[in-house]
Amino acid sequence: MALESEVESLRAVPIFKGMDPRRLKLIAFTSQRLSFKAGDVMFRQGSDSDCAYVILDGSAEVVLETPTGPLVVSRIGSHSLVGEMGVITGAPRSASVVAVTEVGVLRLPKDHFLSLLEEFSQLALAVMRDLAHRLEATNRLLVARNEKAG
Amino acid sequence: MNRNLFAYIWSNSRREQLAILAVVLLSLPFYFVSLDLPKYIVNDAIQGRAFAGGKTEATLFAFRFTVPWWLGGSGTPITLFDGFTLERFAYLFALSGAFLLLVLVNGGFKWFINLRKGKLGELLLKKMRFDLFSLLVRFSPESVKAVKPSEMATVINNEVEPIGGFVGDAFITPVFLGGQALTALTFIVVQSPALGVIAAFIVAIQALIIPRLRREQLRLGKQRQLAARALAGQIGEVVEGISAVHSHGTSAYELARIDRRLSHLFKIRFDLYNRKFFVKFVNNLLAQITPFIFYALGGYLALTGKLDIGQLVAVIAAYRELPPPVKELIDWDQQRMDVQVKYDQVVEQFATVTLIPEPTQAPEPQAFRTGQVEAASLKVVDGRGQVHIDNVSFVIPLPAHVALGAEGGDGPDIVARILGRQLMDFSGRLKLSGYDVAAVPQEEAGRAIAYAGPETVIFQGTIRENVSYGLNLCPPADETWDHPGDWIDYAAAGATGPEDLDARIIEALRVVGMDQTIYRFGLGGLIDAERFPTLAVQTVDARRAVFRALAETGSTELIEPFDPAAYNRNATISENLLFGIPIGGTLAGRRFISHPFIRETLAKSGLTADLTGMGREIAATMIDIFTDLPPDHFLFEQFSFIRSEELPDFAAIVARLDRGEPPTADETARLIELTLDYIEPRHRLGLLDAGREARIVSARALIKSTLPADLAGAIEFYDPDRVCAAAPLKDNLLFGRITYGVAGAEERVLAVVQDCIVRLGLEQDVYRLGLDFQCGPGGRFLTPTQRAAVALARALVKRPCVLVVNEALVQFGEAERRQVLERIQEAMRGASLIVAMKTVEAPPDFDHLVTFAGPRLRGTLALGSRMGGGRVASDAAASSA
Repeated sequence: MALESEVESLRAVPIFKGMDPRRLKLIAFTSQRLSFKAGDVMFRQGSDSDCAYVILDGSAEVVLETPTGPLVVSRIGSHSLVGEMGVITGAPRSASVVAVTEVGVLRLPKDHFLSLLEEFSQLALAVMRDLAHRLEATNRLLVARNEKAG
Repeated sequence: MNRNLFAYIWSNSRREQLAILAVVLLSLPFYFVSLDLPKYIVNDAIQGRAFAGGKTEATLFAFRFTVPWWLGGSGTPITLFDGFTLERFAYLFALSGAFLLLVLVNGGFKWFINLRKGKLGELLLKKMRFDLFSLLVRFSPESVKAVKPSEMATVINNEVEPIGGFVGDAFITPVFLGGQALTALTFIVVQSPALGVIAAFIVAIQALIIPRLRREQLRLGKQRQLAARALAGQIGEVVEGISAVHSHGTSAYELARIDRRLSHLFKIRFDLYNRKFFVKFVNNLLAQITPFIFYALGGYLALTGKLDIGQLVAVIAAYRELPPPVKELIDWDQQRMDVQVKYDQVVEQFATVTLIPEPTQAPEPQAFRTGQVEAASLKVVDGRGQVHIDNVSFVIPLPAHVALGAEGGDGPDIVARILGRQLMDFSGRLKLSGYDVAAVPQEEAGRAIAYAGPETVIFQGTIRENVSYGLNLCPPADETWDHPGDWIDYAAAGATGPEDLDARIIEALRVVGMDQTIYRFGLGGLIDAERFPTLAVQTVDARRAVFRALAETGSTELIEPFDPAAYNRNATISENLLFGIPIGGTLAGRRFISHPFIRETLAKSGLTADLTGMGREIAATMIDIFTDLPPDHFLFEQFSFIRSEELPDFAAIVARLDRGEPPTADETARLIELTLDYIEPRHRLGLLDAGREARIVSARALIKSTLPADLAGAIEFYDPDRVCAAAPLKDNLLFGRITYGVAGAEERVLAVVQDCIVRLGLEQDVYRLGLDFQCGPGGRFLTPTQRAAVALARALVKRPCVLVVNEALVQFGEAERRQVLERIQEAMRGASLIVAMKTVEAPPDFDHLVTFAGPRLRGTLALGSRMGGGRVASDAAASSA
């Protein structure tokens, strides 16, 4: 059944790794299954952060709208979680995400995602770990740049 | 209100009380005669005194009287009526008949008096509630804050109820019952002074002792109530703190404490029984001992010839009549004390508040359009002595758009509240166009000044009713209690009638950015053909237009149309079975699956096993997913097919099925019920296949073709060529379901729908349908932003001379807040707008900026804009403290 395959996909997402399968089932069941066509804007920079997406299949680009025009920052594929930062901070979207191929996602509405974090410390910890890793990566990048500049 | 209950009652119902009292007095002679008549029946008819001397006939009901000599009478009796001459049996029956007639007359009096008394009580109760309520609406804003709403409702609703019940009894009962008792006593005295004295003595004992004993009973009753309350409190405390009891091993201590309380309660209750049965004993004794005396002494008197048998019988009968009124009088006295206490409490409650002063001047509402707003030495100190504003004075010519700003402190808020008449406990003076703001009568102020604050008030009713609430200013001539009239002052909103007013309301809602929401509400509304004839007629056309437009844009995959011959995968199973909407509740909700016709049809179509199996799958999944979730978790409410309290039931059912046991009829019904809301692409449990879908479609056909006559009105079937009155407008326009799983499908479809609606000229009707949306109690069905928007629209729609906006926009997002404020400024062009802010930066296009530093005024600044439409006074930067 479809729900089961979604649970399998969720299990492959790093922050959901090791979570109780029943929890993953809950997350899948309470999410919306959506599909975007190639070229569809999944969310736009500056808009309200009302949900996070788990990409089940297909790939998308993270695009930064800059004064000089759109700048593709990175490309994301299946099993990635996107848009959760804005949901946690409450800030508007920091970049746009555009579907490159047809993209199948699970849409986790903001309220659900936050309540899941509240309910399951395991998940909250995983998100924290992920954010900490990203911060570390950014720091390293900064240091590298400074060294290069210096 | 008068502090004395009897004075209040008397002053409000004097005439009616007097009228009833007159009837009471009129009834007493009849009562006396009814006591007297048995004597004649016994003596004259039964014992034959009237036929003494062997007469076979006697005269009855002759009426003669002798004029006394001191009135100049001659001594010979004057005969008014010769009476009837009757033989012995006829004589007896005539007298008995007369007695029966008197019984009826007395009963009639009682009935009439009770009825009038009841009516009087209800009328005064109505008046008292109304009086209290009219006091309530005059409470000053500060007093309103100090009272609890539920308390006030209880006072007006419940606590005055017994007072109302007492009103009819207040004067009439003592006179009526006392009169009866006195009449009976008088009658006994007339027959035999000796027996009269005994009767009077016993009545006196009853009247003196029993109330005393009862009063003690009352006191004990109150004690019992307190003790019981304390016991309940202690039990509750132990239950709440049971973990502490367990962890400290203090069970014995708690048991001993409870035992003490129980013993105390027992003592009170036992005392109460003692009193109660003692009173009963005394009562019974008195009641029984008197007949003994009457029989013994009365018999003695009768035997010695001082009393005849008829008199004795009549006296005993009269004595029987004596205790009930006396007992009721005692009850009345007790009720009086009770009610007096309650009345005192109610009056007290209302006496401590301050009321908005009665107006002294009634200006034309339009007077506030020009002139100036003039603050002089405003000062507000709260109950804790904190100074909120101090010595604030400024003058600004009107009309003007004024921003009140501050960095910290609540100066803008306080001044906005004073201007909006939400705060009246201040010193200094605030004049608007020469009128003291606090002293303007409520109605004129309501017309001229609108205040939208951070606390929004939404009444239960439609959006229309809520937005037009402030226009309820014209008392209608045709209002009756069961038919509310139309209070709306259409002219105040610049409208010509209800339909035109709808347009103004929609415009006001557009200003506050709620028009799209109203449009959405409209799509969710039911089409009332009577109120929206065009919409009802054109919906089918619009439906076709929507389908064409979707086809033209190549978006037909966004929607799955209803097809009588095909399963709609984006609709629920029950929708697919019914292919229509249940009406009137016969087939709605749980009743659908328990209806014998539906059950049989499902069985005939071979669906029972299918659906039971699906129900089992759903139940198993829900148990799997939701078992560990807290029962009140919002995911439960939004997503679970099974309520938390029913999960264990279903777990048991699933376990039984897994052991291979067949489900009972009830279990089958419960499992099938789970499947009714299932939508495959939405819930994704993989339960439907082509075979099941085909069987559901064939069951659908069977339901329609074999629908019994008694269910004919219970379903409105979907018909591609007709409007379904029971389905929302949106469903009627789409005639299908938006496909699940396509991102953005709903937005795209709705955009097409809106386009078609605009082209067909139905847009205004959809908005108007949206105004029918019910806000729910306290606006519960609206989001906080929507509530704030409705409250603002209410202030705008009455086109006030002065609009005060105090933190009313906090619910809006930042970008929207700016846009809404701009549109409000536009709508208030030429009138005055006062906006309280939390910064000292004036928004664009304001005429004046008044800034505060702490509780004091920092200054006023003319900004040179002309939004107010008036002249910009360069000297407006007036006195700053």
